[in-house]
Amino acid sequence: MRVLTKTSLYYLLVSLVVFAVGGTVFYLSLREEIYDEVDDQLFTDKENIIAYIQKHDRLPNVTSGISEAIHVREADPENLVMEHLSDTLIYSTYDEEDIPFRKLTFTAYRQGKPYEYTIFKSLMDFDDLTESTVLAMIWIFLLLLIGLVFVNYYTNKYTWRHFYDTLARIKEYRLSHHQPLTLKESSTTEFEELNQVLQSMTGKIHSDFLNLKEFTENVSHEIQTPLAIVNSKIELFMQSENLTEEQAQMLSDMYGALNRLARLNKSLILLTRIENREFTAEEQVPLHRLLQEQLTHLQEIISMRGLELEVEQMEEVYVQMNSGLTDVLLQNLLNNAIKHNHPGGSIKVLLNRQKLCIRNTGEAPQDQPEKLFGRFRTGDDAVGSLGIGLALVKKICDLYGLLPKYNFKDGEHSLCIYFTK
Amino acid sequence: MKVLVIEDEIALKDSIVAYLKQEGYTCDAATDYSSALLKTASHTYACVVVDLTLPGGNGLNIVRSLKENNADTGIIIISAKNALDDKITGLEVGADDYLTKPFHLSELNARVKSVLRRRNFNGQKVLRVGEVEVQPDAAEASVAGKQLTLTRKEYELLLYFVSNRNRVLTKESIAEYLWGDHIEMLDSLDFVYTHIKNLRRKIIEAGGQDYIQTVYGLGYKFTSP
Repeated sequence: MRVLTKTSLYYLLVSLVVFAVGGTVFYLSLREEIYDEVDDQLFTDKENIIAYIQKHDRLPNVTSGISEAIHVREADPENLVMEHLSDTLIYSTYDEEDIPFRKLTFTAYRQGKPYEYTIFKSLMDFDDLTESTVLAMIWIFLLLLIGLVFVNYYTNKYTWRHFYDTLARIKEYRLSHHQPLTLKESSTTEFEELNQVLQSMTGKIHSDFLNLKEFTENVSHEIQTPLAIVNSKIELFMQSENLTEEQAQMLSDMYGALNRLARLNKSLILLTRIENREFTAEEQVPLHRLLQEQLTHLQEIISMRGLELEVEQMEEVYVQMNSGLTDVLLQNLLNNAIKHNHPGGSIKVLLNRQKLCIRNTGEAPQDQPEKLFGRFRTGDDAVGSLGIGLALVKKICDLYGLLPKYNFKDGEHSLCIYFTK
Repeated sequence: MKVLVIEDEIALKDSIVAYLKQEGYTCDAATDYSSALLKTASHTYACVVVDLTLPGGNGLNIVRSLKENNADTGIIIISAKNALDDKITGLEVGADDYLTKPFHLSELNARVKSVLRRRNFNGQKVLRVGEVEVQPDAAEASVAGKQLTLTRKEYELLLYFVSNRNRVLTKESIAEYLWGDHIEMLDSLDFVYTHIKNLRRKIIEAGGQDYIQTVYGLGYKFTSP
């Protein structure tokens, strides 16, 4: 949940509680006040009625203006009500509903006889008042709420904008792009601190990354010369006339291992160089022509392994790439298709404006497809494979914004490179 | 025929010189930029093998000055820089060939021979071992005057063998020579075997002897029996 939504919800919750409690308290105190007032009026009426009786020696009639309604009856001397306040409902034929009344029952003596008087006061006004108060409260609540949420949302959005900006930039940040992380200055202390921490952190990571890369690069380059020396010495050694078979075998093993190391090192250097974006020379490369060349080049190996090559489609396609890297890309794709195949299998090649697809028969992959593009990933059948080919393919695709997709279906691996971004 | 080897790694320089000397070349060596310039200025070489990273300067400058002053000299660059575009730069400046370290001495030898042949230094248009003759200009081969019908790869293989006669050639170096160095083809060693088998058969069928010897587990040797 976003911070804005979260704080807005909290605001909503707190205001709901405040309004519920506030509304109840307000309602209760209002009621108390009105009851007080009505009761006061009833008592005043009572005084007036008693005074009237004493003065005129008769009951006041309804029109005398003293009370809204007076009910008089002879009191039961056994059971005298001296003074009693209560609520009652009286049905109004005019309004066709029960109307709440407050009544005061008391006993007054006239000519020595007790009479029970009941006077009524309508609480209709009170009801109306409560109703309009509650309504007003609801309106105020709604308006306040909307206002609050809006103000909160927009002020938050305003103050948090740098944070979201920072977040977006970190998401887009790639170490390998060698662009320093630049963040907008913020007047909010916390965000400014965050930015500074992030900037110094990425700066540190970047310099470490560069050091490490430089180290790998130097090591790879420096290894080439000793490799060349050992290689040449072994080769000279091999020319000796009087080698025993055992010695020859040892030399041969050394030589094989050394060659593997040399190949691995070359691939690693190439990979690093692609990462460093050192292949800047780009041109419109005729992909169909390069592909045809590679196929011709590999035709022999393909047929020697008993594979059948089928070119399903070969359109003229030009891509903006470095031609050397394009060769590496095609070589690795085709090598892969040959390597992870079985005798009597097939390789299908398809090239059109949208994609380049190379499909080959072979064992089902043991790895998850997305892991295939990592370094040193090899299937079990490919003994001695360096497992760096597809990593190279991925790197080259990344460099030129191409999309490689791998799929395995019905005993057929399919590796497609989509040209559209 | 004089060949100059410019390489700052003494051990590697020694290997190259030793291998080339056995081929009958007169070898000179330089291990830094200034002595290399001095040697190229004072002598005329048939071929110069030059490393690009040298103490004191860039090997490319030596290539440039050679191109200006001794245009006939064949130039082969050897470099630890395994770069697709460095290769192109080297060739643009005027080098005849480019090898990345580590390389096979037999491959270097074959390339030196090829450069010399193209530059017409020894006037030897035909390579001959026993009854086997290879004419690189026509890309043809014959045994005792009888034309051999070879595939492209078999022809290249024969050329490689003839260029390195009496030398042990490893399967790895043959595979690299035939298919290029970025082919990480696992079974290429088996293919080498198949090609050699075919080539041997064709030579014998044409009436030749068995020139190709298997040397333990090391590789093959092309010798006149």
